[in-house]
Formats: sequence, C-alpha cells, structure tokens
Amino acid sequence: MLLELKNVFKWVQSSSNPVFLLKDINLQVREGEFISIMGPSGSGKSTLLNVIGMLDGFNEGEYNFMHESVHSLKEKQRANLYKEYIGFVFQAYHLLDDLTVEENLEMPLLYKKVKSGERKARVADMLDRFRIVGKKDLFPAQLSGGQQQLVGVARALIGNPKLILADEPTGNLNSKQGEEIMDLFKQLNEEGVTIIQVTHSEKNAAYGQRIINLLDGRMV
Amino acid sequence: MIKNYFKIAWRNILRSKGYSAINIGGLALGMAVTLIIGLWLQDELSYNKHFTNYNEIAQVFQSQTFNGQTSTGPAIPRPLERAFRDRYGDKFKHIVMSSWQNSEYLKYKDINIAREGNFMQRGGPEMLGLDIIAGELDGLREINSIMISASTANALFGTEDPIGKVLKVNNEYNMMVTAVYKDLPFNTNFHGLTYIQPWEHYITTEEWLKEAETNWGNNSFQMFVQLADNSNMESVSSAIQYVKKDLNEDTREFNPLLFLFPMKDWHLRSNFENGKQTGGRIQYVWLFGIIGLFVLLLACINFMNLSTARSEKRSKEVGIRKSIGSQRNQLINQFLGESFLVVVIAYVLAILLVLLALNSFNDLSLKQIRFPWTSLTFWASSLIFVIITSLLAGSYPALYLSSFNPVEVLKGTFKAGKLAGLPRKVMVVIQFTVSVAFIIGTLIVLQQIQFAKNRPIGYDKEGLVQIPTLSQDFIGKYDLMRMEFLNSNAVIEMSSSSSPTTNVWSNRSGYTWESKPEGFQDDFAWIDVAPEFAKSLNLKILAGRDFSRDFSTDSTAVLINETAAKYMGLSNPVGVQLKDSDEEDPDPPLTIIGVVEDMVMQSPYDPVKQAIYAFDGYGESSYYNLRLNPGNSASENLEIVENVFKKHFPDLPFEYQFVDQEYERKFRSEVRIARLASIFTALAILISCLGLFGLTSFVAEQRTKEIGVRKVLGASVFNVWKMLSKDFIGLVILSCIIAIPISYYLMNGWLESYTYSVSLSWWIFALAIIGAIIITLLTVSFQALKAAKSNPVNSLRTE
Repeated sequence: MLLELKNVFKWVQSSSNPVFLLKDINLQVREGEFISIMGPSGSGKSTLLNVIGMLDGFNEGEYNFMHESVHSLKEKQRANLYKEYIGFVFQAYHLLDDLTVEENLEMPLLYKKVKSGERKARVADMLDRFRIVGKKDLFPAQLSGGQQQLVGVARALIGNPKLILADEPTGNLNSKQGEEIMDLFKQLNEEGVTIIQVTHSEKNAAYGQRIINLLDGRMV
Repeated sequence: MIKNYFKIAWRNILRSKGYSAINIGGLALGMAVTLIIGLWLQDELSYNKHFTNYNEIAQVFQSQTFNGQTSTGPAIPRPLERAFRDRYGDKFKHIVMSSWQNSEYLKYKDINIAREGNFMQRGGPEMLGLDIIAGELDGLREINSIMISASTANALFGTEDPIGKVLKVNNEYNMMVTAVYKDLPFNTNFHGLTYIQPWEHYITTEEWLKEAETNWGNNSFQMFVQLADNSNMESVSSAIQYVKKDLNEDTREFNPLLFLFPMKDWHLRSNFENGKQTGGRIQYVWLFGIIGLFVLLLACINFMNLSTARSEKRSKEVGIRKSIGSQRNQLINQFLGESFLVVVIAYVLAILLVLLALNSFNDLSLKQIRFPWTSLTFWASSLIFVIITSLLAGSYPALYLSSFNPVEVLKGTFKAGKLAGLPRKVMVVIQFTVSVAFIIGTLIVLQQIQFAKNRPIGYDKEGLVQIPTLSQDFIGKYDLMRMEFLNSNAVIEMSSSSSPTTNVWSNRSGYTWESKPEGFQDDFAWIDVAPEFAKSLNLKILAGRDFSRDFSTDSTAVLINETAAKYMGLSNPVGVQLKDSDEEDPDPPLTIIGVVEDMVMQSPYDPVKQAIYAFDGYGESSYYNLRLNPGNSASENLEIVENVFKKHFPDLPFEYQFVDQEYERKFRSEVRIARLASIFTALAILISCLGLFGLTSFVAEQRTKEIGVRKVLGASVFNVWKMLSKDFIGLVILSCIIAIPISYYLMNGWLESYTYSVSLSWWIFALAIIGAIIITLLTVSFQALKAAKSNPVNSLRTE
C-alpha cells in the first residue's frame, strides 16, 4: 500500500456555513497504479491532488503515506516526505523562468542535498532520456509548450519519486503534444512509477487503470 | 545551492533593470549618506584622540558669578600656578601655563610670515607628546628658544636645517630654533599651533604680564595639566575647587570656582550655562547620527516596499520551490541572500559615491576627512553595516515572500492587492514623515540664519577693511598712518581699536557712578578706540557727541552704547563720571560724552553687551579700521593701501580682512549645518520619491487590466489618474500630520538655545506640506498618466 485516505473532509468557513471541498474521501492507492481523477469544474479534483501531494491540509480524517501518518507530521517532516517520494507536474508547467532547462532539472536535487557529481550525472541522464540535451541552456520562454511540459515531467522524475501527481498535464497542450506526454506517463508507469492524474479528457483518463469520479467533493 | 540562489538573484537583477536601478540606486544613495555621516561622526568623536595622554590632560576652568550670572571659561589668573604647584604638585605630572594662541611674525633672512602659536611652559611639548622630527622635545629650556612645526620650518627654511638657526619674532627679538615637530592633526584643538615659545620669555615682554604674577583679578592666562599616574580626574577636580576663593579675598564676592575640564570634553561638550556643563557640538553629533540612520531607514524601506510589491512576480517561484521540496527557512535564506547581494552592490556604489563626494563634503563641513582605506576598523564595521542593512531591508520581504501558500500561488488565485496591505502603507508613511520633518527642520534653520543676518548691526560693514596691528612696530604710528591713508585717496576715514569690530577681547569691571546701586557688580565690554572710531564705522551717535581732537579733555572721555545706558540705569548719561573703585591707586575718572547705537560685535544671536568705547591714549590698537573710498574699486583701493603700508612697514607682511566677510563668519557653523541639512533633506526626499516611483509603477502594472476595463466603460484619463494618485496623496497628508508636531517640538527646542531667534510661523509648515504633496503628485503622476493613457485593447488582450 502506497497511500491511504480515510474519511477525509476538507472545508472552508464562508460567512455562516462551512463549504465542503472534500467530503468523506476514502481512497487506497497501491504502488504501481495509474489513477485518473475526473469530475466537473469545482468538484474538488485539484484539492484532492494537493491533499495527496501534502501541499494542502485537510480538516478531518486520516492520511497515511508509506506507513507514516501524514496528518500528525510537522510541516518540516511532511516536506521531507514529499520531497523524497513525490513529483509534481502542473498544467502550466511552472518552470522557473530565471533558470535554464538544465538548472530547472537540477533544482530538486539541490533541495535533496544530492552531491554535485551525482547531480550532474542525473541531470545529464534525464536530458538524454527525454532527448532535450540540445535545449539544456535555453530558458523556458524559449521552448514550446510541449517541450516545457517535457522538462516539467523530467523535473518531477529526477528525484526518483514513487508517486507522480499531475494536475491536467496536457491542459495547455495541443493534441499531438498531449499524446506524447500521456505516452510518456504510460511508459513511466510500466517502469513502476505510481501516477495520479487529474484530467477533463476521457481519452487521457483511459490511460489509467482506475478512474475516480468526483462530484461536489464526494467520490461517486 | 548558494550558487543557485545567487544565480537567480543576479538574473533577477538583470531582467528587471529599471526596478533594480531604483532599488540599488536608492540603497546606494542611502548607504553613501550613512557612510559619509559615519566618517564625520568618527572624525568628531576622535577629536584630540591623537594625543597619547588624551585621558590625563585637562584644562583648568573657572566659573565666576556677576550679578547672579555665572560665566565659565578657561581664563585664569597667574598666581594660581604657584598655588597649584605648592598644594597639589603631587597630583599632576605636568602643570603648564600657557598664553592664548596668537598670530606673530616670524622672520628668517628675507622671509617674513605670520603664524599662529603660543607661549608655554617647559612641560608643554612633553604633555602634548609632540612628534619631534629634529632637535629635542625639551626645546623650551632656554628663554630664547623656539620650537616650530614642520610646515613652519618648511615655509621659513625650505631644505635648510632649521636647528640652531635664529628667527626674528615680530621684528623685535631673536629666538633660536631648538626643535621641529610634526604638525598637529586637523581634528585637534592644537591644530593651529605652528610654533611654541617659552612662557618665561612671554612674561617678561610686557609690564602688565609681570605684574599679573601676584594679581588674582587678572584672568588672562590658561593652564593645562596632565594628571599624575595615581590621581583621578574627578577627585582632583573637586580638590582644587576652592583654591582661589581660599587664597584671595578681593575676588571672593564673584564666587570663583575652579575645576578640571578634561580633554575628552573639549570639543564636544564645551558649552556652559550658569556654571553647568550643557553639551555643545555633541548635539550635532546626535543630530547627524540620527539623520544618517533615518536616511538609511528610508532606503531600506524602499527596498522592502519594492520587494514586496513585486511579490506577485516572485510568488510563482515560491510556489514551485515549495512544491519541489523547499522548506520555508530555505526560502528565507534565499531571499536574504538576494538582499545581501543587492546590498553589497549598493555598498560598492556607495563607496564610489563617497569617494566622489568626500572633497565637497570636506569643504562644506570644514573637515579634512580622508577615506580610511587602510583602517581595519572601517572595513570591519562596513561588513557589519552591510549585514545589518541586508537584514534590515531583507528580512521583511523574506518573511513575507516565503509565507506564500503554494496551492494558491500556483493556482493563480493569489493577488497581492491594490496597495497591498497595511505594512507597506505604514512604511510609506514613515518615509514621508521623516522627509517632511527634514524639510521643516531645514526651512527653520535657514529662516533662523536669515533672521539673524537681517538683524541691524548698528554700523556699516560694507567697504570696511581691517588691518591687524599686533606688532610693536605700529606703536605711535597711528596719526601718521591715518594721514598717509587719507592722503592716498583710497581711504575716506580710518580708526583703530583694541578689538576687531567683530569681537570683544576685553571686559572690565570696578567702576562706580553717581546712581550706581549698592552691591551692583558692574561688567562692561571694553574697547579702546581712536577718536575717529564712530565716524569710520558710520556708527550713529544717539545722544551727546562723538570724540573730538579739538577737546584735550577727551583723553579721559568715553562713549557708551545704548545697552550700557540702560544697564547703568541712566536716562541722561551724557556728563556722568565713571570712577575707578580701586581706592589705593585710582585711574583718573572718565566722562561719558555720548551714547552710540548698539553695535553687534559678538554673537548675532545674543543681545548686545553693555560696552564702553574709551579714548585710546596709548596707541595700543589691535586693528586699523579703514573705510575704503567708494569711488574706487575695492582692488584699486587695496593696492594703494598695500603700497602705503609697505612704505612704512617694509618688514611686515600686508594682511587685511573685509569686515563684512569677518561678520559673515559668525554664521559659519549655522550655515554649515543648514547646507548639510539641505543636502541630506534633498537626498531623503529623492530616496523616498524613488521608492514611491517604483511603487506606483507596480501598482499601475498590477491594475493594468482594471484600468483597461474602466477605460472601456468610459473612464477618462483624469479619472484613472485620480484613482491611482489618491491613495498616495492620502498617505502623504497623514505623514504631514504626524511630522508637524514632531518637528515643531524639536525645532522649538533648537531655537530656544538662541536668545535672538525667529518665531515659528505657520507658513513654514504649510510650505512643507504643499511641497511634499507637489513632489508626491509629480512622482506618482508620471506612472499614473502612463497607465491611464495606455490603449485598453492592449492590456485586455494579454489575458
């Protein structure tokens, strides 16, 4: 078992009544799964993904990640946990504009305090694997959307995470670029990486082995 | 990691050049001001520290009370020396009697120069720890010896060896050079001491000096002491307090109290009021120290405001880094690192600015500060300064930026808000409060100076030239010289006086007159003048008559000023006789023949002192006062005057001063403060405006879309401009409201230290407010108008 959510609730206090973002979520994810989360806008897809990714907290319930109780961890321990095991891919790529492709890839390793020699090797390896060696000195603004997302995936992958969380990874891409990214995910999954993606597209959802549908914060 | 931080910081600096220029430029200006003020403070605080015996040297001061008014000063009587040596000799390592520093002519072969120096007892050079270049430290052993400074030696002897050579002093007597010492530094009280002659020689030069040996009432000398190793300044000071009172009956009524005035207080704490030490220049040390801190604070506030205003730009980076695994303290370190980089760049620029400005600053502040390239302390304190500034400027942005929630930021729901929050508003208010307070302060200082300058001074100082006549050569030559000068057609009237017109060198007491109240302790400014004094100065006679050469009785006549008439309680002073109260050997009585208008001779901020202008029967003048012929140009006149002078005194250098310039010197310290304050105020405003400019541009940028929508809906350029400027104007007005009472309170306190001072008027404050608002409007409008005029289509298309 990679992670497990039990009776997770999340709400925000508006004027008088609480507004529920997540309602009684129960979810178990095994290592090696490829899960797609679907649902209409505002159904809580991204919120769920953020809770899983530990970027966001929740109000009630339990969350265990690799036998650790996430809800009882301190912020620093939580950060160490997701830094170690989770990689994020965003719809808007979210590369650092001021860093080159190579430097963007290197950054997670810096935070993990990986030694310089190994860093260089892993960055080179990743550039090679994604066939972007020629672009390593370019800045994100000099790349196409598809290329940027490729870097985004490479960056998520460079720390050897157990889990990749992708929030509409193809949302800003044209269909051909999108297909490439999804194929890449499929291939990674086959290599053993667990993937959870949020998507609007039935076609992309079909890449996963399991689909979770959300409506008004509740799993249906 | 650190490399990565700096890389990002560096690229950030390069990417937004305008922003960086404002940020770094503002910070550099602020740091330069703080550095310069720091150097100035260091110079002030290290005054006299050149002397190795700094902590043990003191001057003997005396307080005396006349009619309830206590005055304190360094002048002491000669018998005190004997008393000190006999009673407290073991408390001191050195007791050094000294004359006042004076200008004398030193002549060697054909070279005759005027130099400042004094007469001291033998221990003086050792006490001061003079750095002997040639000859011996004990150079005052022989009565006919003279010690000279290196610059004097160079001026007189050039490359010749001065030791053993004979100088002629004032064309009167010969002295043999026994030592050459290194010139004393500019920031010491003995800076002008370019020669020293033996005290033993001094006391033989004139009869009154010899007689003073036993005269407790003649306070015309100075005494410096160096404490013995085992004695303590305070205990010795209180031990000597009553020496004069105990030993002398005649002066007891003035309650003479003695004390040691330690060298460490000479420069900064030299003001006394009613016998109590009340500070002095130390108040300016504080003032400029505070100004320096404030200017730095303003620059740091800019940095904070601009950094946080840009937060939207940086927020995405924070979100990404956090999602990748950065912890908050890592981000805090990153942002502090960026601040540090910016501050270091600003510091380098600040050093350049200081180097560029240091000469002008020295001129302005009358200092000789050099850049301390080799001072380890300077560089160490610079490092601390840079770190403190980085923390001051960087910690708030670091805490603020690192606190962003990655989910919100990455979702794009994060908005920094219009003016973004209270902290930024508070900081803008602080900046403008300081700036407005500076403006008001500067205006009041300028107004006070103008007020004092406009004060009627009682005589006509334009076209008046004074020539010092301190040499014995001038004795008895007055009438001749007057004829010569008048005949030369360059001078229309001339007089002599025992003090320059811009100072009073002598005071006298001990006179009685008919209606003098019992127990009244009289005290007058005393000036011996030639009969033409009033005429040459265009000094108005208010009652009675001027001196006249036609009356032989005028040799015992005096003029008094208006204040003296009131002081003596005389409604009709003409004809009143002043009698010497010394019963054994009285001087002949003096007759008041006239009253002259009050003439400002001393401080233009103080009331004019009661003065007696006595007929100078002995030709003991210190200055000739020449009224130049207004028909000729000043340079023509001076050329003629010099020729006449040289004809009669071929061995003396021709020296002269314009009286109006001498008078102007009375304002020097205030003018200096005003100039410095104006410059610092201007810089403070500039820095604040830079920040405001940057802030407006960000607000305008943030609201681009809003402005676009408003314009599509029909808002005019004026509407948009108003909308963007309104917030800032409100803040500036709030600043004025805070600044006015503060500056009113502080400046009122400053003005109270002057007897003759301008009253604070409301228009100064109004002017400052209007000025601040205009400056703000100009600064804000540039960006506001740019935003308001932009085509809405462009701004709406970008979304």
